[in-house]
Amino acid sequence: MSEKTYIDALAEALREEFDRDENVFMMGEDIGIYGGAFGVTKGMYPKYKDKLLDTPISEASIVGAGVGCALVGMRPIVEIMFSDFMMDAMEWIVNQAAKLRYMTGGQLKVPMVIRAPMGCGTGAAAQHSQSLPALFAHIPGLKVVMPATPYDVKGMLKAAVRDDNPVIFFEHKLLYWTKGDVPEGDYTVPIGKAAVKREGKDITIIAGSIMVPRSMEAAEKLKEYGIDAEVIDIRSLVPMDVETIVESVSKTGKAIIVEDDNKNNGWGSEVVSKLIESDAFDYLDEPIKRLAGKDIPIPYAPELERAAVPQIEDIIEGVKEIFDKR
Amino acid sequence: MANVELMPKLGMTMAEGVILRWIKKEGDRVEQGEPLLEIQTDKVNIEEESSYSGVLLKILAPEGATVPINEPIAIIGEEGEDVEKILSGIGKSSQSGQLESENRETEKAEVKGAELKGIKESVREERHVQTDKPRATPVARKIAKENKLDLKEVVGSGPKGRIQRADVEKYLKEIEVKPAITAKPEEISGRVPLTGMRGIIADKMQKSMNTAPHFYVTMEIDMSEVLTLRERLNGKLKDVKISLNTILIKASATAIKGFPIVNAYVEENSIVMKEGINIGLAVALEDGLIVPVVKDADKKGLSEIAREERALVEKARNGKLMPDEYSGGSFTISNLGMFDVTRFTAIINQPEVAILAVGMVREVPVVVNGEIVIRPIMEATLSSDHRVIDGAVAARFLKRIKEILEDPIQMIV
Repeated sequence: MSEKTYIDALAEALREEFDRDENVFMMGEDIGIYGGAFGVTKGMYPKYKDKLLDTPISEASIVGAGVGCALVGMRPIVEIMFSDFMMDAMEWIVNQAAKLRYMTGGQLKVPMVIRAPMGCGTGAAAQHSQSLPALFAHIPGLKVVMPATPYDVKGMLKAAVRDDNPVIFFEHKLLYWTKGDVPEGDYTVPIGKAAVKREGKDITIIAGSIMVPRSMEAAEKLKEYGIDAEVIDIRSLVPMDVETIVESVSKTGKAIIVEDDNKNNGWGSEVVSKLIESDAFDYLDEPIKRLAGKDIPIPYAPELERAAVPQIEDIIEGVKEIFDKR
Repeated sequence: MANVELMPKLGMTMAEGVILRWIKKEGDRVEQGEPLLEIQTDKVNIEEESSYSGVLLKILAPEGATVPINEPIAIIGEEGEDVEKILSGIGKSSQSGQLESENRETEKAEVKGAELKGIKESVREERHVQTDKPRATPVARKIAKENKLDLKEVVGSGPKGRIQRADVEKYLKEIEVKPAITAKPEEISGRVPLTGMRGIIADKMQKSMNTAPHFYVTMEIDMSEVLTLRERLNGKLKDVKISLNTILIKASATAIKGFPIVNAYVEENSIVMKEGINIGLAVALEDGLIVPVVKDADKKGLSEIAREERALVEKARNGKLMPDEYSGGSFTISNLGMFDVTRFTAIINQPEVAILAVGMVREVPVVVNGEIVIRPIMEATLSSDHRVIDGAVAARFLKRIKEILEDPIQMIV
């Protein structure tokens, strides 16, 4: 086990999957010699010439080709340079990839992974900064994941590649250079399982993607206020691990959901509804709180961009409000 | 300038009043202090004087209407004044201006309706907030429910007084502490569910005590004549035995003839006077109580009643009574004399309005014409539903029973 960045963990997962299965390959813009917009495939091209396919700037073509390859037995990983650009390929993702297995009674499968960097914080303005997992989580037939740590990103990418269904794989741009322990060699992290990243007894913080490390830091600070917070990394929106969340909230009686998405109809509302429908309802001792991005396009100005989504201090304040307001 | 007469508040607890009668009619002239209308409150009927002098331009609440206090009931002003303007002034102001003249009459009414409705709704809203169930979190509700705790007793420490888990737990701890010091955990030898006949009796008796305001009158009755009569009758009759209950049934039925209000039952909001005089007799069973009914007891002879009574009691003890044999009663007698009870009060067998509880006949020294003599005395207590029967009526009725029993020839003729 050694400490690696999120990007290194991703690259490791790619190499190991390329080596493991000849049908696995990757397509995307500038992923070959250039090494990808964020450098995920940097330096890999000489060894994996036939695995890294540079494509024209056409997301519809990239995803469409990916669906075709998957249908004939390949296991394509397609990289969308910014997840915002998936809008150009919605027909292929929503109408084709998500439905073909169902419509053919299982005769066809679409074992495709769409890797998509998301999120704000890099000064990339409104069209390059959205977080859209909830948008895809609404479509039956798609799996939607958003690993938050180097360990998870390696294990979950492997699980996604081996999955026979289309998986939308969201990587937050600000996570790429975060570090964490990543084991050498092969392991998978199952899709559809949340992780209790920190145990606590007073409140459950349910977070995803970049909000997981922010919530972990917030939880440490909250100790100073005598609040022992449990942090759950939701990891996968579809399928969603309701059991782990219900168990934790039943234990603590309080819940706050922290999303990177904007708030309206975000995945947090789905979590709230699952909690209300479950046994956890009986154990709730506070209304469930949601922290999410503002319902605005992400601003370009750095101060406004920062203010548009929850930061560590917002999470601390949000939790404190629940305890302080009496 | 016109004024609006409001429903007055005539007592601390008055919330609404009924318009009994308009003494003045629309168009009549009325002086301040002159009787304007008659109002019925929950306590009294009262003539209400006009608060203003002028012409009664418009009556807003018809006779028979129930109107909450401080709501408009009439408009008093000068001849020819624009009533509509005032009506709109009661509630929203601008609506009357939009009305078209040809539809004035009907629209005026609509506007009034809308205005009054507006007022009513605001009142209702206030009440709603007051009567709303306590603000509490799901877990607080759950714990309260598990402990059969009424959340209204718990003070909430959360925002807007929301009751939280800690509040309920604290409360439970507090109420737990007190009995824990004084009482040992109770030891029980058994538990019988309140179901079946026991459940029905429990329900009926509780309902009776809750809904009927009971009051009681007791009299001592000299039973010398009754005992003599019974002895003589039983000496003559071969196939049937006249019991004290037989005579009580007949005496009550005879007395009731002059008191139709006792031969009644309460249904919803009315008193129903029954035609037939059907007397119930409470019969103790091993595990409960049932009241078979002797129908038209006033029209039957003693031996006929005795035969019927005997058959009914027998059936009751064997659990063979048919529903029509224990229903349709209008008055009940409960006799605990055989258990040496001297006096008791009975709970009214609803929907009936009275029940007679009699104790044992015992020899008691009494003063008759200045001399102490020993007489067989029976104490009888009448429980009455005060919603229907007032004290004097109950006393007169019981006195009538006493008269009949002390001179039993009255029930034979």
